[in-house]
Amino acid sequence: MIELPTIIKNPIAPIDLVKYSGASGDFNEIHTVPAVAQDQGLTGIIVHGMFVMGWAAAAIEEWFPNRQLKSFSVRFQAVTHTETVLVITGNLLAGNEGEILVEDREGHPKLVGTFVLQKKNL
Amino acid sequence: MSEQPIIFNYAPFLIESGKIKEFAKALQLNNPVYLDEEVAKSAGYRGIPAPPTFTTVIDFWNDRSFYQLFSDFLKLNPNNVLHGEQAYEYYKAMMVGDTISAQVRLKDQFCKKGKNFFLLETVYKNQWNETVAIGRATIIEMLEVNS
Repeated sequence: MIELPTIIKNPIAPIDLVKYSGASGDFNEIHTVPAVAQDQGLTGIIVHGMFVMGWAAAAIEEWFPNRQLKSFSVRFQAVTHTETVLVITGNLLAGNEGEILVEDREGHPKLVGTFVLQKKNL
Repeated sequence: MSEQPIIFNYAPFLIESGKIKEFAKALQLNNPVYLDEEVAKSAGYRGIPAPPTFTTVIDFWNDRSFYQLFSDFLKLNPNNVLHGEQAYEYYKAMMVGDTISAQVRLKDQFCKKGKNFFLLETVYKNQWNETVAIGRATIIEMLEVNS
């Protein structure tokens, strides 16, 4: 098993979620409008799960610039609020198989995943 | 589950470079292959490739989108669901200029611990009818969330 370099992301700002909503087309207002999030029983707006998965995929690309994903499977563990600093860690288990964990700085897991790499398929 | 499978076709989606750039910038991706065609071509791609989770854009920024799937077919408020799990298998690169047709199928639907779960499988095909990716999502109807 090879431990992959830890990646520490910048705190997630509300504007990041506004941009991601516009870019992805996911306009669920629990990601952008505090009153809507609160109506749903949340303490504030929450990060799109696919934003966190997008960062996880980018981390894998950074770890393996000469390979690409063959498969990638994640489970979202908990909601992520803005201002959270996400820490991404991972391990290469066998030749092409790895695992990834995204958690906050306090160690609360947000996403756990497994991935399989392949050679670049251009 | 009922015998009649629930199948929903997203509208064909043309991948444009501006949309990839916007998506890449929103995710703060610093890999220049997503931003610059020359860089992408010198890296051996036939054009700017789509990032791995760009499939989301095909689901949402679509003339027949996730919103119709949820409100019309699954009879769910699309703003009332959480994403539990997501998996992708990648078969072919998706590029600027490709037109992707995606079909989503409700694979299973069940209630567990008072929550409704929906398992969706989406097959993404390009203009040559080649499967480029398969996505599998677990969507949970959010009756009440404890954050």
